[in-house]
Amino acid sequence: MKPVITFALMTLRNLLRRRTIWGISIVILIALFGIGQIPSYGISNEGRFILDFGLFGLEIGALLLAIGLASNIYPRDREKKTLMPVIAVPLSRGQYLMGRFLGAAIVEAAAMLVGCVGLMIILVMNGHNVPVDMLPATGLLLVEGWFLLAVVFFFSFWTSPPLNAPLTVLLFIVSQMSVAGFIKLFPQAPGLMRTLRLILPHMDVFHIKDPIAHGIDIPGMYFFLAMLYGLAYMAFMLSLALVVFRNRDLK
Amino acid sequence: MKLTFAFLTSALLLLSACRTDYDIEEVATPQHLGTDHNDDCVECEDEDAEHVHTDHEHDADTSEPDLLRDESDENNASVISGSDRHVHDAGQRNHGTGWFFNQPWAASFIWGKMVRDSVILLILSAVMLFVPGYLRKRRR
Repeated sequence: MKPVITFALMTLRNLLRRRTIWGISIVILIALFGIGQIPSYGISNEGRFILDFGLFGLEIGALLLAIGLASNIYPRDREKKTLMPVIAVPLSRGQYLMGRFLGAAIVEAAAMLVGCVGLMIILVMNGHNVPVDMLPATGLLLVEGWFLLAVVFFFSFWTSPPLNAPLTVLLFIVSQMSVAGFIKLFPQAPGLMRTLRLILPHMDVFHIKDPIAHGIDIPGMYFFLAMLYGLAYMAFMLSLALVVFRNRDLK
Repeated sequence: MKLTFAFLTSALLLLSACRTDYDIEEVATPQHLGTDHNDDCVECEDEDAEHVHTDHEHDADTSEPDLLRDESDENNASVISGSDRHVHDAGQRNHGTGWFFNQPWAASFIWGKMVRDSVILLILSAVMLFVPGYLRKRRR
């Protein structure tokens, strides 16, 4: 475990040196500031709009961060020839993947936490209450972000970076669809479409911005189950990525 | 090869277990979908019901302005009727809010499916992680 943590910290330092993470974080904060300027239009509970748009902004931010952080890591290591010496002696391929993933996951967690605190500050500055479930809601979005990070790693082992981003975005979009909506995309083969949709994740599990914005309490058990589901899917995607990586000829 | 076989077998198990899935509208009870409410509530118009006009006829060119005027009339009527207005309590399922309550956080009957899928995914991950190493050791 120690080599993985050391390599994760190395990845963390590498990522913080890159401009991508800072650029995406600044875009998220600017978007949150813009959301804070939404007028009330005479509606009493204006905080509802800020919260709803804000959490949606954080979700999109998680997607952008996952793509921005992870899509270039493996191709860059391969291009700069740093991959071979790393996995030749000190690390196995599994440890390489875990180290890189952990480093990126820490950066994503920090960025989401900053976004969440930013949204809280905007709510307070506008004279609204901060909902109790705000942190757990951000936690679920973070788990969704980690899952997307695993997806980006999976795609990065067998596609080019320009193809990685659209594939991840496509998966993000179709994973939000209901089974009925997904079947409508190709109604000629409902059985095939249903099977495909069953394999894809249900990202609506991570969405609790609507009840929070409307002041409805979420059972604590739900947070636990949704986190378990997200982490299990993340583990599955990482395992899949590792299988692809293990079978990859690096010469 | 063995790993592929194990993965495919697990995937088939997963698929057979997922005959009913997270599409809440498909697996929800009538009580959850609020059809009971529609039956009981005589004041409410069905969401999908066709809007019938008895006092005038539509022209093909003017259908949109008519629609706008009708909605405006309905709004005025609801304001005029005051306490007779049809109001639902906050947080209650009613017409047009089905999407809100058809989300996983509100549908506790699919939480078991979330647990089932999580367990299956974790088992699949373990198979993919540990089976190749085990097979390699056995070959030696």
